[in-house]
Amino acid sequence: MQLRNKKMLCLPYGVFLICFVLAPLVVIIYYALTNGEGRFTLENLTGFFENPKTTGTLLYSFGIAVVTTSVCLLLAYPIAYILARGKMKHKSVVLMLFIMPMWINFTLRITALKEILTVIEGNLSFHPFLNTVIGMTYDFLPFMILPIYTTLLKLDKSLLEAASDLGADSVRTFFQVTLPLSVPGIISGIFMVFLPSMTNYVVLDMLYNSTYIMGSLIGAYFAAYDWHGGSMIALVLLVIILVFTLFTNRYSDEDAGNGRGGVLGR
Amino acid sequence: MKLRRRTHKRLQAAFLAFALCLTGSGAGAGTVFAKSQDEIVLRVCNWEEYMDMGGWDEEERIVLDNGVTIFGEKPLYEDFEDWYFETYGMRVRVEYSSFGTNEDLYNQLNLGDTYDLVCPSEYMIMKLMAEDRLEPYSETFYDKNNERNYYINNVSPFINQVMNENEINGEQWGKYAAGYMWGITGVLYNPEKVSQDEASSWKIFENERFRRQVALKDNVRDSYFAALGILKADMLTDEAFQNAPDYAKRLEEEMNDISQTTIDAAQELLERLMDNIYSLETDSGKADMVSGKIVADYQWSGDAVYAMDQADEDDFELRFSVPKEGANLWFDGWVMLKDGIHKSTDSARQKHAAEAFVNFMSRPDNAVRNMYYIGYTSSIAGTKDNDTVFSYIDWCYGAEDDTADTVAYPLGYFFSGVSEDEDYIIAAPPEQVDRQLFAQYPSEDTLKRTVVMHYFDEAASKAINKMWINVRCFDIADVPMAAWLAMLAVFLLLVHKIYAKVSVKNVTVQ
Repeated sequence: MQLRNKKMLCLPYGVFLICFVLAPLVVIIYYALTNGEGRFTLENLTGFFENPKTTGTLLYSFGIAVVTTSVCLLLAYPIAYILARGKMKHKSVVLMLFIMPMWINFTLRITALKEILTVIEGNLSFHPFLNTVIGMTYDFLPFMILPIYTTLLKLDKSLLEAASDLGADSVRTFFQVTLPLSVPGIISGIFMVFLPSMTNYVVLDMLYNSTYIMGSLIGAYFAAYDWHGGSMIALVLLVIILVFTLFTNRYSDEDAGNGRGGVLGR
Repeated sequence: MKLRRRTHKRLQAAFLAFALCLTGSGAGAGTVFAKSQDEIVLRVCNWEEYMDMGGWDEEERIVLDNGVTIFGEKPLYEDFEDWYFETYGMRVRVEYSSFGTNEDLYNQLNLGDTYDLVCPSEYMIMKLMAEDRLEPYSETFYDKNNERNYYINNVSPFINQVMNENEINGEQWGKYAAGYMWGITGVLYNPEKVSQDEASSWKIFENERFRRQVALKDNVRDSYFAALGILKADMLTDEAFQNAPDYAKRLEEEMNDISQTTIDAAQELLERLMDNIYSLETDSGKADMVSGKIVADYQWSGDAVYAMDQADEDDFELRFSVPKEGANLWFDGWVMLKDGIHKSTDSARQKHAAEAFVNFMSRPDNAVRNMYYIGYTSSIAGTKDNDTVFSYIDWCYGAEDDTADTVAYPLGYFFSGVSEDEDYIIAAPPEQVDRQLFAQYPSEDTLKRTVVMHYFDEAASKAINKMWINVRCFDIADVPMAAWLAMLAVFLLLVHKIYAKVSVKNVTVQ
């Protein structure tokens, strides 16, 4: 009886899931696989991959996402490490400094960034890719710091002591103990940064990068009343993300050992 | 110069909307309660920020030379509810909502949203007309003897002519649409950096002297229009072409050229322009002109006025010019939807209320309220007996009485249909001639080289949208060699790593 009651607690989320996740997904799949007359077709799919421009956009989005994620990781890991391991007096204040930007609306932050970059670069339009990466990094950095910080904080210190007792120096301890154990944090950080940076076209718009990325491309299809083509691109993106998820999930499992799991850890 | 216009309006509107949200819930409950048998609901969908929402400060009260006072207390559609009850003794409640782009509106209609009255742009009106979704205005709407028919009695003869000359499937636009706001496109420019001559051609967007300092519009119709202007510049500026008796007709054909070869040429040109422009923008161009980030911008006349006003406040000068190749004449108009009107319980009353709404919006004092709030130019001109609109223009742009140096700016073509009508000449300060006044009411000569851009049929629309997506997308051929190599390296590394792991596992298993 008690167990049944507990299951009832899932009901609100279940309803939410069906109404706002599952149902729209079904609609997207329906539109993606039909043409204007409602008949089944794969034309939308072939159309997307046959055009070097649309595949180019896929690659461009991918490039932005990869570079942004790498930059975020390179910036975030040392910070998270110092915050978690260091013996700072006002740790929470420092952490707050990194988290605080998230309290301000992101369009507002990007507007401010735009002005700062204009002062530095002069004319923003000469470095669209760079500006986009800077903007996205600025935007998503806290999402990378937080999970890594939490993993490092929870790390069992006796393991580090054991490593040093067994004669490993600090560098070796880091690469053979700390880094592998923090992989779950890294993976969830990558997830939080990589996926939105493939589609967050507002950053591009605001920083004067007029090239489409996946998000804006989908928007363009819908504005041109081509719901079928737009849905197909959304679906392609979904599949890519799914493959990516499965891959990294397995990878993280292997690295961190079963049980510790990635974000979708079983 | 007189201080005027709606600098704080937008903020106020946002605040008001917020306040309305707060009070809305309470009011909503009240109306349900008070809803009587004879109240009808008129569903109106308009552009965002495209109607006076009232809430003016006391110092904004405008007293015109003809004695009329303009003041917005409540949103105009609420004033309409009161007016309708007072005039016709029937209750109507306006359900007012807004849309962001013509395409959004069209998508909303296809998704099953029902409206009685909407206000799209001319090409969307044409599309809806061609799809037989519009309800024609009734005969009585055009009866000039009825003084409550504010629209037909006050509409500008210029606008009326455009509406009646253009046809879709043999039917005049004027039967289905009532003009609301109108304007043209042109080039907003910084006279310190750009000469008037340079700004008088669409070619400014391919001028390498202004590389990465000019901005085009982030929508396919405007950018395609500019591309056509550049592609056909030689022909369009040829004197023989311009002086031909059928110039207007030929210009319209040329600027609506949707043959595949032209579309391909436009794609090639726009791809080249993408390298020369600062960005494609919809809204940021105004601020970037004022802050000096860019020196020229493809601009709609109403937004150009707004940007020039903003720049004036910073003691910075911007000007507006209309390219000599030709420019786009656009307007937004009220149209009734068959879906809305005929699906209501009493379609005759519904239609009456919708037509009354259009008439109320067209009453000159209300037209001025809207112009003040929105900053665009109303299609309403007024009459000699009721010259509120003209008085307002004079109040905005006319020189002070003691100014010696003025230029006569004739607006007869718009107000009475007689070009040199002496009643409609504004004595303007000379600098207004290529600035706000000109942008808001272009001279008659300028309008001769403006054309309406038609809607594209499905095939052409597909081709043009595809062209636009190609222009906007990243060409895979542009990926630098280094990036390909880096990707290859990462890929090989991953393969190696996985392979190493698998072999380690195999060893342990053994």
